[in-house]
Amino acid sequence: MTRPYTPWLLLALALTLAALYLFPLYWMYVTSLKSASEIYFNPPTFWPLAPDTSIYPQVWFGRTMSTFLWNSVVIASGVTAITVILGTGCAYVLARYRSVWVDVGLFLILMLQVLPASVMITPLFVGFNQVGLLNYPRTAVVLAAAAKAMPFFVVLVRATFMSVPRELEEAALVDGNSRVGAFFSIVLPLARNGILVCAILTFMSAFGEFIYSKSIIQEKNLQPASVGLSGFLGPNSSDWNAIMAYSAIYVTPILAVFVLLQRRIVSGLTSGALK
Amino acid sequence: MTVQIELNNIDKHYGTFHALKGVSLAIEKGSFVALVGPSGCGKSTLLRSIAGLESITSGSLRIAGETMTGVPPRKRDVAMVFQSYALYPHMTVEENLTYSLRLHGVHKPEAKARAAEVAATTGLSALLHRYPRELSGGQRQRVAMGRAIIRNPKAFLFDEPLSNLDAALRVHMRKEIRALHDRLGATSVYVTHDQVEAMTMADHVVVMRDGCIEQQGAPLELYDRPVSRFVAGFIGSPAMNFIDAVVAEDGRTAVLQNTDGGTVPLPSPLEPGRSIVVGLRPEHLRVVEHQGTFQITVGAIESTGSTTFISSADDLITLVQADRTSIAAGDRVSLAIPEIHVHVFDPETGLRL
Repeated sequence: MTRPYTPWLLLALALTLAALYLFPLYWMYVTSLKSASEIYFNPPTFWPLAPDTSIYPQVWFGRTMSTFLWNSVVIASGVTAITVILGTGCAYVLARYRSVWVDVGLFLILMLQVLPASVMITPLFVGFNQVGLLNYPRTAVVLAAAAKAMPFFVVLVRATFMSVPRELEEAALVDGNSRVGAFFSIVLPLARNGILVCAILTFMSAFGEFIYSKSIIQEKNLQPASVGLSGFLGPNSSDWNAIMAYSAIYVTPILAVFVLLQRRIVSGLTSGALK
Repeated sequence: MTVQIELNNIDKHYGTFHALKGVSLAIEKGSFVALVGPSGCGKSTLLRSIAGLESITSGSLRIAGETMTGVPPRKRDVAMVFQSYALYPHMTVEENLTYSLRLHGVHKPEAKARAAEVAATTGLSALLHRYPRELSGGQRQRVAMGRAIIRNPKAFLFDEPLSNLDAALRVHMRKEIRALHDRLGATSVYVTHDQVEAMTMADHVVVMRDGCIEQQGAPLELYDRPVSRFVAGFIGSPAMNFIDAVVAEDGRTAVLQNTDGGTVPLPSPLEPGRSIVVGLRPEHLRVVEHQGTFQITVGAIESTGSTTFISSADDLITLVQADRTSIAAGDRVSLAIPEIHVHVFDPETGLRL
């Protein structure tokens, strides 16, 4: 009896949750366009009385955001490059060979995922200091964040490789290809979508990386945008529309990429590349 | 005739599992050899060992006179057709066909010409620019075949290539594969669990069981003189009837158990009182008015129009008649069989006596 109503109920629930989750995003954009006094209105206004965009160029130049964003891009690219190159090989081996050691390897990789960055940072800092890596702080952050991103990438890409039938590789071997050749000409093209999606997700999360950057990079012009944002927050910070404008500039590119690639990302995560 | 593939005392272990136990086999150039057996008998493992996809634990393997033990698949110059066809999903039919040629450095125009030629012989000309996902099962099967024949390899290896097709197409492709084999003068090794495929397609049938070769020979030789109860039960459809029996006083007839003292003649004399198993093929049993040597109560009657299958009420005996019958379920009928069609096996070892 209730069956026709259930989907509506669930849909309403989903929409409510989505609205709750997306409200801060909306609030960020709206607040950035309000005047300093309007921010403190009670009851608050849900649409700015006189939208004012002049805060954006002010924040961009006043806060040297181009430097911060460039550092974010450098760090995220480095993390993605290391993760994709090493992680793809690792995931392939873990997908194709079955032994006790592979299981042990998978377990250790999942362990890495369990350890939070805030716990890892102290030993990493001490270790990096001893080998002199702190003189190259962005490299140090890239290495630390790549290690953090690796488990997620390996586990997801391994699943993609497992969806490529082994017989295709065997056919390529019999057809005259080598093991490595078969990997590059058969397996990799078929797993491409899955790898691409995981790479994008890795890039996005590295773009917002904060803990390692904040702790390791002291020099201001090497810091990424996430650390730059925390520079606003002091004991007396009340520059809310500047903070919101900074956040909007920081977040919008990521959001745009996600919206554009949304369909591919979802299909790449849920289905195999085949059939 | 020269030997194209020579297997000598091949052993294969997967951990503690002994998959192949000292298999020796010589495959002549130009012959069509079928490897049959129930699943898990090692027939696919043997084929994959020939292709080089499995390493052999011990023994030696020669293809066209060259020792191939430990040689990677790409240097063996064999072609394989997989059960799932294993077509490359991201390549068109033409690219699938020419993949091996491109790997061997054949120039593009020549590769394309060869692909067109192969497509013409396999009926794929109109489909060259389609992707595998846009083809039907039968068409995919043809692409898999085409990919094998384009190279002119030293041997074709087939791993149950027809098991994903429907029955009508299977019968059709059976003939086509055999015709292709004859036209190319190729050497083929064909793995199947379907004895009908093996019997109809092959010159030489190898029956495998638990990693060993149970019997090999021409198809009709296996049908006429199975060396064991296993081969007898595996070859022929419907399967042979096996009945426990005891050799009678005269040594020339066997008294069947569970049939109220019915008898069958023996092809050669045996010592009286000995326990045996007699094998009677359903198509050799005849319903007779008089002179039947044993009787059954009819259970089920199934007719396909051309043939009639009659089984006994206790399900011990099945027989096949070519013509229609007036026999009804519950009737008591007399059966006879010529002595040359009676197979006798040892109940302990299962070997032919």
